[in-house]
Amino acid sequence: MTPRKLLTIVVLIAVLGFGYYSMNTAPVLSDHDYTYQGGLEWHEDPDEALALAQQEDKPVLVYYWTTWCTYCQNYEDEHYQDEDVRDVLDEYVLLAINLDDPGPGMSLAAEHEANYPPQHVLMTADEQEISRLGGYTEQDQFLSELESGVDDQ
Amino acid sequence: MSPESLTIGTLLIALAAFASSVAAVLLLYRYLTNSDDFQRLTRAAAGISTLSLVVAHGYLTYLFVVGDYTYAYVWQNTADYLSLLYRITGVYANHEGSILFWATLTAVVATWTVYSSRFRGRGSRLVQSISLGIVAIFSIMLVSQSPFTPIETAFPDTPSGFVPPDGDGLNPLLVDPWMAIHPPITFAAYALLIVPFALGITHFVSLFRGEESVFDQWIHSMIQWLRISWLLLTASIVFGGIWAYGVLGWGGFWSWDPVETAVLIPWLALTASLHAINRYEKTGEYAIFAPASAALIFPLVIFATTVVRSGVFRSVHSFAAGGIGTGILFLLAVTGTLALALPLAYWLFKSEDETRRPATETWLSHRTVYHGAVLSFAVLAFISIWGLSFPVLRHAATGVEVSVGQDHYNLWSYPVVVFGLLAGGLYALLDLRRRRLAIAATAAVAIVTLLAAFITPSANWYLASPNPHDPLVYRLVGNASVLSIVPPAAFFAGSWTVRYVSRIRGVPSRAFKLRETGIVLLHVGAAIMIVAVSFVYLFTTSASVAVVGVGETANGGEPIVEDVPDSEYTIEVSNYESVEEPSIEDAARSPAAVLEVSEDVSLVRGEITDTETIENTAVAQLDESDVWLASSDGSASFDIGTEVIARGTVFSGDSLDSEAAAYVYTDSQNMGSLEDPPTDVHEPRMVSHEIDVTVYEGDTQVAQGSMAEQEYLRAEMNTNDALIERGITGDTYVVGQVDEGGASISIETYPLANQIWTGVTLMLLGITALTVADHRRKS
Repeated sequence: MTPRKLLTIVVLIAVLGFGYYSMNTAPVLSDHDYTYQGGLEWHEDPDEALALAQQEDKPVLVYYWTTWCTYCQNYEDEHYQDEDVRDVLDEYVLLAINLDDPGPGMSLAAEHEANYPPQHVLMTADEQEISRLGGYTEQDQFLSELESGVDDQ
Repeated sequence: MSPESLTIGTLLIALAAFASSVAAVLLLYRYLTNSDDFQRLTRAAAGISTLSLVVAHGYLTYLFVVGDYTYAYVWQNTADYLSLLYRITGVYANHEGSILFWATLTAVVATWTVYSSRFRGRGSRLVQSISLGIVAIFSIMLVSQSPFTPIETAFPDTPSGFVPPDGDGLNPLLVDPWMAIHPPITFAAYALLIVPFALGITHFVSLFRGEESVFDQWIHSMIQWLRISWLLLTASIVFGGIWAYGVLGWGGFWSWDPVETAVLIPWLALTASLHAINRYEKTGEYAIFAPASAALIFPLVIFATTVVRSGVFRSVHSFAAGGIGTGILFLLAVTGTLALALPLAYWLFKSEDETRRPATETWLSHRTVYHGAVLSFAVLAFISIWGLSFPVLRHAATGVEVSVGQDHYNLWSYPVVVFGLLAGGLYALLDLRRRRLAIAATAAVAIVTLLAAFITPSANWYLASPNPHDPLVYRLVGNASVLSIVPPAAFFAGSWTVRYVSRIRGVPSRAFKLRETGIVLLHVGAAIMIVAVSFVYLFTTSASVAVVGVGETANGGEPIVEDVPDSEYTIEVSNYESVEEPSIEDAARSPAAVLEVSEDVSLVRGEITDTETIENTAVAQLDESDVWLASSDGSASFDIGTEVIARGTVFSGDSLDSEAAAYVYTDSQNMGSLEDPPTDVHEPRMVSHEIDVTVYEGDTQVAQGSMAEQEYLRAEMNTNDALIERGITGDTYVVGQVDEGGASISIETYPLANQIWTGVTLMLLGITALTVADHRRKS
């Protein structure tokens, strides 16, 4: 057993350990119920979200995102972590659509002409568009848009 | 493949596929039988395949330059308004063109080894056979998905004989000088890796068959190819980073986007391989790992290509969307299996146990430390491979999607980089034969590194901002100070410098000095780059401001001065200008060009050389040609001798029962003289809104220049040109959205951005010096 063989074996074990560890601690983006952008619970199916919105008489916030979009990261790390924003979001039913893999959200994305991330669309429970935020908006403007969206529904 | 889609270009590729297959089979036969039959035929076949690919590639480039839109690939990736440089860029903008270029370069390298007298011996034939076999696979892929597919075949709805008047245009993000060179050098780097792959595979096949391996005879040439490949690949990654920095508009040059990560993997493997082969050449160590690593780089390149082209891993590189050829997946499976299985099988079943450790060898020997450094590269490569793969694997297995953010790559890689720097520094000092001093110094630096990890003058110094519920490793590494990269990097750079000085002292050979200079530049450059990369993102600042009414600053209007909120900045905006591409003068066709394309509505320019009235319609001949203007409602007036630009519906000459080939029906709204063209009716491809900005911090000017936003009307896409003011300590970066109404401008700072470029430049100089020095020593 040379030191190099030993070192190689140690590194191999470490690498296997790293692989297992990192795979199991990675933050869950979505499971069979929700997708978790910025740590919030978002629906992925527009029908589900709209049905719930009808039931609870709430507006819907649609968030178009992708894994690689830097401004989405900003939203998720900052805006969605803010207490005031979270309070307003409680008044909404949340719907997140991954533009790379829209699934059931495909037709809605086409309807909203959402062809690049990030985009937010505020709509009523019967799909009337209230307002639209294309691209990145500063936090206070984002908050005031959400607040006026609740009032307008 | 229908017969009408077999164009001349596709035929050339088919010829190359046939000829390279013949050459590969003949070479394999000659290898197996160890005979010299068919030598002339082999050479001819290899030559023909290379020549047809070179001609096909040249022909495709020509089609792009002249804008022949009867080909779907040309139509999709270029347009009339683009300059020559970006027309050539279009050749590589998508899958088919890139693969053709890759195949062409590979064929050139492989055929060169067939013709050269330097590569003899039985194994050489197998190496050449494998290389040409890969060329054949590429060519077969290209025949089934050809860049020379006629537009009627690609889009069956197009009417027969239809010639599109203009191309669909290049992806706006690719209209950038850095992107013009990024794809060609990337594929040039890839092409140089195929022969090392074939050589590594052949080496193990020869060992299994009990023949003499040609690996050692080829090794000098191979090291040079690997070095040139490393030079090109490094440059390619850097150019991609510079492009992202300037064009994507968020000021970053690296975001662990899947494609960036994917291309980093072959780069790390290539770096590890160069280290291992370097040792092998000198001392015979790494007898299995060196050839195995040479063989593994190419499958990793294929893996990277799969990531870029597949859509399984989404990223900003989804430029080449659409299915990736099954050929690529086939190549990945075959090459990956071969490169992994052969060395592994040999190691398990055939290899003699490593020579027994001499009793004198200590545990912390020269060799072991070197091995530790090489392993660091392998571990870094694995971190990237795993980060790309496990979300896909896990999603496929359980349907649960997990996110792998930048933290995964940054925080796992960081300790490995620190370890690698310490090991590399220790190795350089051990070379000086001052063993105890070397170990003591390394231990001291390791302790200082640990202490530095706790020094955080402000919140910016933390490597990441982990949440309390994040995994332990993220919290441990994330809460360390970035200052901890400085001691190991300084130690590493210092050790290599000391080693350099002591080695060249008293050695007269200039080639040796050049070689050592190359080595020291590589390592010092790497240390500088690592430090700069660690710091740049943690200390960025950003402030933004909205400026209304920038349109009023046009044509020497009064500049607008605004204070930027929450900052010390003041910004002055002036000289708003909007530039249209193409301008109406450039977009208007000559009469001859109108007849060549199928267009319902044409924009035409020419001198009126004759006027007539036919069936109560005023008509005017342009440039004495068969194209006439016709007044559709009597409002247009035609005067002989004036040069006009007119837009109108095109009808054939029969509509007015005359000799003319075509009439362009226009009216006064759609016609004007050359001095006063009807600009309102012209829709450009792109409108660029440009402003001059000057930024002051307090009373000091920190940036001055122009910034712009381009609106691509047809692609419904905007790009932003940032103003980047480079400085010794960092860049001031001004970017934003601009149009006539107003601008929303961000002012950002990126400290140490230029030290990244400095470090990389030193590395590129180093590898060049090393390659040149070795070339001189041998010749």
